[in-house]
Amino acid sequence: MSGRCVHELRMIVVAALIIGVGACGGGGGSTSKDGRRGASATKIVIWEQMDPKEVTRFDRHLNAYMAAHPEVRVEHSHFNTEDLRSQFQNAANAGGGPDLVYGPSDQVGPFSVLKIILPLDTLIPASTLANFHPAAFDTLDGHIWAIPDQIGNHLVLVYNKDLVPTAPADFNALIDAARKLTVDDDGDGTPDRYGLAFETNEPFWLIPFLTASGGWVMDATGQPTLGTPAMVDALRFLADLKNKVGIVPKECNYQLMDTLFKEKKTPFIINGPWSWQDYIDSGINLGLAPIPPLEPGGRRPAPMAAAKGYSINANVPAERKAAVLALLEYLTSPEVVADFPDLLILPSRREILDSPKVTGNPLLVASRQAYEAGRRMPVTPQMRAIWDAMRPVQQSVMNGSLRPEAAAAQMQKDAVSKIAAMMN
Amino acid sequence: MTSARWKSILRHLVLIVITLATIYPVLQVIGISLRPDDRLYSTSLALIPKGATLQAWHNVLFEKPFGTWLRNSLFISVVVTLLSITLASTAAYAFARIRFRGRQAGLMGFLVTQMFPATMLLLPTYVLMARLKLIDTPAGLIIAYVATALPFCVWTMKGFYESIPRELEEAALIDGLTPFQAFLRIVLPLSTPALAITALFSFMAGWSEYIVARVVISSKGLYTLPLGLADMAGTFQTEWANYAAGSLLVCLPVVTLFILLNRFLVSGLTLGGVKG
Amino acid sequence: MAADSSRSRLFPWLLVGPAMLVMALVVFYPFVYNVGIAFSDMSLRTFRNPGFAGFRHFIEIFTTSPLYTILGKTVIWTVVNVTFHVAIGLSLALLLNGPVKGRNIYRALLILPWAMPQYIVALTWKGMFNYQYGAVNLILGRLGVPPVSWLSDATAAFASAIIANIWLGFPFMMVICLGGLQSIPKEMYEAADIDGAPAWTKFRRITLPLLKPVLVPAIVLGIVWTFNSLNVLWLITEGGRPANQSHILVTWIYNEAFTLYRYGYAAAFSIIIFLILLGFSILFVRQTRGTEAVY
Repeated sequence: MSGRCVHELRMIVVAALIIGVGACGGGGGSTSKDGRRGASATKIVIWEQMDPKEVTRFDRHLNAYMAAHPEVRVEHSHFNTEDLRSQFQNAANAGGGPDLVYGPSDQVGPFSVLKIILPLDTLIPASTLANFHPAAFDTLDGHIWAIPDQIGNHLVLVYNKDLVPTAPADFNALIDAARKLTVDDDGDGTPDRYGLAFETNEPFWLIPFLTASGGWVMDATGQPTLGTPAMVDALRFLADLKNKVGIVPKECNYQLMDTLFKEKKTPFIINGPWSWQDYIDSGINLGLAPIPPLEPGGRRPAPMAAAKGYSINANVPAERKAAVLALLEYLTSPEVVADFPDLLILPSRREILDSPKVTGNPLLVASRQAYEAGRRMPVTPQMRAIWDAMRPVQQSVMNGSLRPEAAAAQMQKDAVSKIAAMMN
Repeated sequence: MTSARWKSILRHLVLIVITLATIYPVLQVIGISLRPDDRLYSTSLALIPKGATLQAWHNVLFEKPFGTWLRNSLFISVVVTLLSITLASTAAYAFARIRFRGRQAGLMGFLVTQMFPATMLLLPTYVLMARLKLIDTPAGLIIAYVATALPFCVWTMKGFYESIPRELEEAALIDGLTPFQAFLRIVLPLSTPALAITALFSFMAGWSEYIVARVVISSKGLYTLPLGLADMAGTFQTEWANYAAGSLLVCLPVVTLFILLNRFLVSGLTLGGVKG
Repeated sequence: MAADSSRSRLFPWLLVGPAMLVMALVVFYPFVYNVGIAFSDMSLRTFRNPGFAGFRHFIEIFTTSPLYTILGKTVIWTVVNVTFHVAIGLSLALLLNGPVKGRNIYRALLILPWAMPQYIVALTWKGMFNYQYGAVNLILGRLGVPPVSWLSDATAAFASAIIANIWLGFPFMMVICLGGLQSIPKEMYEAADIDGAPAWTKFRRITLPLLKPVLVPAIVLGIVWTFNSLNVLWLITEGGRPANQSHILVTWIYNEAFTLYRYGYAAAFSIIIFLILLGFSILFVRQTRGTEAVY
């Protein structure tokens, strides 16, 4: 140990300081506010929560746009849904953020209350809006806040045609078919293959059963309506599917449903459009059908139907607004949404919905049927409180610690108090 | 057989059982990365799945900008490590050796910074960094990670210094060295185990960290490895095989660093000729 | 040491200053910000212009919120986790300290839980706890134990997250102990051997006290971090499943703030957590005299 070691240590310290200072000076991209960078090109930033398969086509369209409009550069960053919401809020409230934010329709609820997105019914001509599917837009406070490029997000009955050739007409038929395929292969007392699998612990999956029993989450004024006999019936039906009928695995969550279906151990699942292409890619002979009524001749279950679309950040400076609007119209134009059907996703534009691309594909026809039988997912911020109230109570019913009658009353009570706390 | 032999067999038995239990989940992750159809779960316990394929590894290494992520992460983690070691080893020396006014408060102060739940610090951290123009810069992340690592590093180095007898430095001072030279030439070399721990910890502070990186960074060109991995996760649908392969690749540099630093965690290198 | 001159009074601050500056910069402002909003009514409607709310949140927390049950669960979570982290980590460090064949391979493998990114290992553990198809129940079955409803039963869900978190946390303690063991002079053990001391006495009288300066801060920080750790519990129980019964304080706050936008309330809750941890650490450090040296 001598001067040489000291010398080495000194070098390390100096190097660290230099690198540290250099990192401060260098640094990466600028925020979208810095419009002066590269005087010739306008930079537009999009934040999105697209599934990986959708990103590929998105990049293709962006590149085509930039090739056709050399004065515009578009960049996008990916977030998961909850991160997108909180990050966009952070950034927009601090005066920055992306120009466009793409996500599910219910994000416009909080965003519009926080006043960080612009109302779009004044910026897009009504003639353009008329070319979208009539159920594509959600109105909040009298305005439209997002322009969708796809509609859907609805739960349908997904089945494996190799195991079950046709869709059952009602739940009794489904249970019969499912029972036959709930098999204990290795004789250990518990089935290894189950007839039906779905996410039993998320209220989103409860909704079709609730609507089939005649209920809904809120009334016309936005007050929760969870303490109804319909809710009791729906919860009981769900719990019975697992406990009495025994065709659903004991602890069934999304991942298990996905795995069992891909391993061809379950003929029926309930899942949404984001998953179908993946199943086809995994080699499943896929069939889609609206969720059947709970009993013969009964009410048709209405899953929640929504859309995914683009909103404009309220902080976008005036000189960029025109470019941002132009990009928005491009991304929701028929030419661009025309490749959604290839991913088994319903586009928002009528021109494509009514074209052979959709009408000629039996899976997409079934999907559209299910969508139009659905009910719009409320986009008010209060909906978050309602989900939060429903979720734990539903889980208690599913694990047997709470009876459906008490559960419905509990949901209502919690929803009311959470909404009060949330909306101050 | 001697009792020493029995002890050795028992020791290895215990170690093997614990090691197997420890690596089992990692083997599962390897299995996920080899599965052909993006399944997170599996109904079979087989570690090598049916139809195993290396496609996911190929995807992550060649189709995704893995090199960019790796470069960004390495840069940030190395700078964080160097800065942390420098700041912590000097600050801890003062805390260990010098009784100055504010010493107790300073020490507790470092501890106190860890006590506030991190989730509530995210929003004001974003606001602060936005005001300092540190959003979307590596410097912002580096500062945040150094602040995360420092309390532990300072306390650990201090504890280690205290286990070194003062007589050594006193002898050095008598020989004519300045306090700082005594620190550099006598104390630091004897503290290599603590430096190794500090280096490993600081490196890890930023390497697998996602939440703060998510808040600070939004440009693709600056993505660190955790952000790159998160790109593969959709809301419901995730490219599980790619994600698993990417995660395993992410942990390789850390294990490598540990293996390199391991020789400082071997007895006999430090206090060989010291009389207590 | 040198005489107390004005130059050497400055010296410690030169050493300590830069580190403290970084900490102050990053932590001070957010902390003050949170104190501010804890007394405001900041939520969805009042995000931009929160008004003054006084002690309203604190009153609500102490009267109608599930503070006490969740606090109890948080204490259990922390104590069980840290105890096992230290016990397993220290045992492994002792086993791997001497000349053991294959020592480096063991060490490198045992550090994997720390090295792996948390998201995928948490989800893998969740899969392993699946009632029907998960590895844990399958292995328990081979041992003749009936399957446990790991994720749908409240106690078992909490236990499953604890088990996964123990797995994730013991390598850290193992590395600390390995480092700390290097600072214990061999001569002490040799002297004890000459005196004929049994292994347990050597451990109690030599190893533990000399590990204290390095182990105590690791335990204090471990307790603080575990108390506030969000990721693993949230990922495995998916936000408090079943039925919000697997919450600890920080996951509860996370839900209130980010699902329901109750920022003021969550900030007030956070301050209470902070004060609990502050009180604990002051007592703990004073009790173990952790700021003192051993020699």
